[in-house]
Amino acid sequence: MIPLSWYLVLAAAIFCVGLYGALARRNAVAILMGIELMLNAVNINLIAFWRYLNPGSMGGQVFAIIVFAVAASEAAVGLALIISIYRRRSTVAADELNLLKW
Amino acid sequence: MTFLSDHVLSFILFSPALGAAALFLIPRDRDARLRNVALAASLVPLGLSLWLWASFDPGAPGYQFRETAVWYEAIASRYSLGVDGISLTMVLLTTLLTPLALLISWSIKENLRGYLALFLLLETGMLGVFLSLDLLLFFIFWEVGLVPMYFLINQWGSANRTYASFKFLIYTMAGSLGLLLAIQLIGLTAGTFDLETIVRVWSTLSQPLTVLGLPITLPVATVKAIAFWAFVIAFAIKVPVWPFHTWLPDAHTEAPTAGSMLLAGVLLKLGAYGFLRLVLPLYPAEAKAYAGVLALLAVLAIVLGALASWGQNDFKRLVAYSSVNHMGFVVLGIAAAAYARGSLSQADAVIAVNGAVLQMFNHGLSAAGMFLLVGVLYDRTHTRDLEAFGGLFPKAPLYGGVLIFTAMASLGLPGLNGFVSEFLVVRGVWPIFTLYTALSMIGLFVTGAYVLKGLKKVLHGPMNEKWSGHNLEINRRELTALAPLLVLMLFTGVWPAWILAVIAPAALRLLG
Amino acid sequence: MTTELWIALLPLPPLVVFFAILLGAHRNNRLSHRLAVGAMGISWALAMAVFVRAVGVADLAHAPFAASFNWLPTGAGWLRMGVLVDPLSALALFFVAWTCLGIFIYSIGYHNFGQPRDPHDQPGLPPHHGGVEPMYARFFAFISLFAAAMLALVVSDNLLLLFIGWEIMGLCSYLLIGFWYGKPSAREAMVKAFLTTRIGDVFMLLGIVALYSATGTLNFREILANEQVLAALAAAPSGVLGLSLAGLIGLLLFFGTVGKSAQWPLHVWLPDAMEGPTPVSAMIHAATMVSAGVYLVLRFFPLITAGWHEGAALTPTMTVVAAIGAFTALFAATIAVAQNDIKRVLAYSTISQLGYMIAAAGIGAYVAAAFHLFTHAFFKALLFLGSGSVIHGMEAGEAATSKGDHAAGGHAIDPQNMFSMGGLRKRMPVTFWTFLIGGFALSGFPLLTAGFWSKDEILADAFGHGHMLVFGALAAAALLTAFYTMRQISLTFLGSPRTPAAEHAHEPAWSMRIPLIGLAVFAIAAGWIGIPEHFPALGGIIPNWVHGFLGASLAEGGAELAFSATPLLVSVAAALGGLTLGWWVYRRVAAGSPDPLERALGPVHRILKNKYYFDEFYQDVFVRPAYWLAETVVAGWIDRGIIDGTLHAIGGLSLRVGAFLRKWFDLLVINAIGDQVGNLVKWGGSVLRFVQTGRVQQYLVVGLVFVGLVFTGLLLLRP
Repeated sequence: MIPLSWYLVLAAAIFCVGLYGALARRNAVAILMGIELMLNAVNINLIAFWRYLNPGSMGGQVFAIIVFAVAASEAAVGLALIISIYRRRSTVAADELNLLKW
Repeated sequence: MTFLSDHVLSFILFSPALGAAALFLIPRDRDARLRNVALAASLVPLGLSLWLWASFDPGAPGYQFRETAVWYEAIASRYSLGVDGISLTMVLLTTLLTPLALLISWSIKENLRGYLALFLLLETGMLGVFLSLDLLLFFIFWEVGLVPMYFLINQWGSANRTYASFKFLIYTMAGSLGLLLAIQLIGLTAGTFDLETIVRVWSTLSQPLTVLGLPITLPVATVKAIAFWAFVIAFAIKVPVWPFHTWLPDAHTEAPTAGSMLLAGVLLKLGAYGFLRLVLPLYPAEAKAYAGVLALLAVLAIVLGALASWGQNDFKRLVAYSSVNHMGFVVLGIAAAAYARGSLSQADAVIAVNGAVLQMFNHGLSAAGMFLLVGVLYDRTHTRDLEAFGGLFPKAPLYGGVLIFTAMASLGLPGLNGFVSEFLVVRGVWPIFTLYTALSMIGLFVTGAYVLKGLKKVLHGPMNEKWSGHNLEINRRELTALAPLLVLMLFTGVWPAWILAVIAPAALRLLG
Repeated sequence: MTTELWIALLPLPPLVVFFAILLGAHRNNRLSHRLAVGAMGISWALAMAVFVRAVGVADLAHAPFAASFNWLPTGAGWLRMGVLVDPLSALALFFVAWTCLGIFIYSIGYHNFGQPRDPHDQPGLPPHHGGVEPMYARFFAFISLFAAAMLALVVSDNLLLLFIGWEIMGLCSYLLIGFWYGKPSAREAMVKAFLTTRIGDVFMLLGIVALYSATGTLNFREILANEQVLAALAAAPSGVLGLSLAGLIGLLLFFGTVGKSAQWPLHVWLPDAMEGPTPVSAMIHAATMVSAGVYLVLRFFPLITAGWHEGAALTPTMTVVAAIGAFTALFAATIAVAQNDIKRVLAYSTISQLGYMIAAAGIGAYVAAAFHLFTHAFFKALLFLGSGSVIHGMEAGEAATSKGDHAAGGHAIDPQNMFSMGGLRKRMPVTFWTFLIGGFALSGFPLLTAGFWSKDEILADAFGHGHMLVFGALAAAALLTAFYTMRQISLTFLGSPRTPAAEHAHEPAWSMRIPLIGLAVFAIAAGWIGIPEHFPALGGIIPNWVHGFLGASLAEGGAELAFSATPLLVSVAAALGGLTLGWWVYRRVAAGSPDPLERALGPVHRILKNKYYFDEFYQDVFVRPAYWLAETVVAGWIDRGIIDGTLHAIGGLSLRVGAFLRKWFDLLVINAIGDQVGNLVKWGGSVLRFVQTGRVQQYLVVGLVFVGLVFTGLLLLRP
């Protein structure tokens, strides 16, 4: 059986990729994707800990499902916003969206 | 039905206010519908107060149709209503005059909805003062009556309205401040705002007042003295007693016709009512001590008010000053009653109070009638200058006839209402303040002079050709508004017992 | 029906008609006068029935007709309202009913009923050329109210109802004197009449309340027929000028009479009141209103004379009454001598005759005063109506002679000026003979006329009780009365016409002549009921009914005075002498010539003609200063100056204080602190502003760095 630490390393790696994407990309879609990656890394952690540490309870799975739901709605709202912004301003670069900045 | 009869005072009190709210459901440009709704809303309290009059038992002691409810528990103030013979008379006067005043306001075009709503609110305010048996409630309605009148003068008045309305508001507010202070002091000292309780325990209080837990204590005598003077000044301004009267000619003259009717007809009575309801029962000793001063001021109001009226060349100002003159008799009667209560002249004091209350009612009728008629003339000619009229009788015979009739009622012609009350006041005061009574006769004489001056300059003499093309005759709507007043003036003069039967037992109980 | 009910109903028909005419019947002239005359007829019939019954009662003075009901609750008790007919009111009822009826009928003709309305006439001005009065119906409404008020006054059983009738008559006289209100003179006269009488009325009101306070009732019988009450009032001091309470109340009530009966010094309104139509003058000056003043004095005779008994010295109140009466009698007679207006002469004559009655009451001659009141009402009404007839005739003559100048309007001559008349005897015989009877009655023409018997009784009383001053004044007044009466008759009816109008004058309508004839009968016959028992030759043929009837109401019974020749001779000499002198001086006055008296009296005549300048004196001394006081001092200085000035000063001061506070405290302290707080925050913000890049990613990096640092720290610091 694959040891737990492998999963954790994988999750950490994906999280870092996602973090990089969220912090460094200018494209709003890419930022969104980075966030999705980070959420999935969390999911991997949740499932892995559940399976290895406490397989008798349902908690880990339930958490993971809630995170799916949140991620999905977040992606839906986020993408809708981005499309709307794109239609209006023809760009999705995050640092060009400075209407509310002083 | 029992619900209605158990809460009839509340219905009387709030139906005008509800009517005012209902007006805002109607579009602002539907003038006819607005007028009809407002009139209907003011006829409801009239009908109810007629029912009240019919089912009132003058012989029964205390207040009748009592209603109490929890209202402001934290400071022991309750929603408490009730009527006795004196307040019932005033309620009838108020509910009678308001529909007539609304009827005479048909010529108002500008922002009619606001005007009508303010009028109905004013009625609620005035009725509240007469009906409440709780000091705090009394004060609130006292103020409620003030604000609509300010706006009525300020928005719908004539040329000098800003000055007049401001003077009216400031003057009355100055009085109200003292009133609020006095009511608070009484409430703190007595621990309640209930009028009947206060009257009962007030004379036995001896515990000094501690103000809000601060290390300040006031002896009861000081509290009483402060509260007495605060009351007297507030009411003296409202009546108005000389020399607090100068707001009156300005406010009356500048107010729209219907506003003047209610101002003279009812609002002035609030002050006299306050004297009767609060000052006399609460401060028998102080009232007795200062009754001489009050009587002197009343005589000054009678004499100087009449003289000032005689000296006017503005018809409406002339009529306005006549209120100072007539209300002087009310105050004279009250002062005499305050002085003579419990002495050998107790019977005279009762007659004086009877006369004072009847004079309040009668002045309400005749002053409202006079202002209505002045307003009719102003409506046609757009001037109030007496020199601009002259010889209008042939042009407006009906108007002239009712003007003479109303003027004679105002003059106190025997056979009409004013005489009965003036006779009672003079009769009651004579044994108490003989010299003052004799002096007040100067005022009574000058009353004749100014009334006849008005009639002479308007109706008699060669016709002023300026008006030859105008139709000056009173129209049917205005006559309808005047007719109830004329009928009551004659009827009260011929058979005053119909109203004195209600007033007299209350006056008797008031003086114990 | 009981007599009391009849009495109570008596004033009502004219009152109902007043409202009926005003509320609808005024559109129809015929209906209006039918209603008015009909109602007066009913009242007249009731009055006569009551009178007959009253005369039939054996002891009316002590068992009068009386009824009352509760009227005014006063807290503890009631004030009762009711009716009373005793000898005095029965007598008054008789003459009031007759004269009023006559005047009502007369008015129909006087206002040219049946003539078309002249298109030039307008309401408020007298009709010009014999057209019907434009306000015909209104006139009948007013006189109906007047009659109702007078009847109510006469039958009232208490002072309050009397006062109500009294004042309503005052209103009616105001309205009727100013009936032609379009004339400026009428407008002034109506106000003058009302206000002058009101001076008396306010005193009277004081008297009423004083009496009410002292006795607890206003009922005549409870006060005046009650010896104890009167004695108590006479004994109680009033604290004013040393008068007893009865004296003070009597004096206060008497002031009411002075106003209403136009006694000096309040006599000035009555001559001016001639501005009204003539029936009004007759009604106000003869039959009703001025009589009401004397009626009041007679009614309160027991109170005024409380503490006095026959033969004793007069009380102060009685002295005042007698002095004012006697003075007025003489004073007004002197003025009457120099007047040219036919109605004004009669007006001053009325004042003078009322003075007789007042003087008589003042010296305690109750019966004589009442008797003269009774006879005077008839002959003075007759004279006024006769003068109205003359004026009417003159106006008709004027219209006949000046046909065509309609448009010019106005009168070329004054139809009331006696110097424009002359010779009317032939043109107007009925008017002449009735006027002659009235005039002779007024002068006291011996034996034949009513005036002789009543006036003689007053003189006899004054003489018999030793009031020589009063006697002298009244005798002199009697001489003047006869003189000016004959002057009037001579100038008007005798000689030859002095103007074309007088030549063309003619008798008025029958409705005006019938009342003249009826009243002339009374002007003669009314005296027969009071011929003294001891009068030479005539005494005792007809019993002295009036003395027994009226005298019974007096506590002392009022024994008839023994006959004395001196006053009789004086009175006969005065009457005949005055008449002869008047005829002799004025028998032949040519057109345009001045008054013969003017030459004889010189400047005195001018003073008399100008009524001793009383009007001017009152105007300058009382009216103008009072108006100045009202307009300038009270309305101007006190109200606008002192009171409003103080208020404006307080207002200005408040504004000044407010402005000061704003400038030196609000702007300087409060605002400055507030501004500095704001500035500080602003500066702080601008300093810190650079950290706010607005880039979420940078914030995240900062967050990441901090999280890293925190974790590192935690790891390093872990024990």
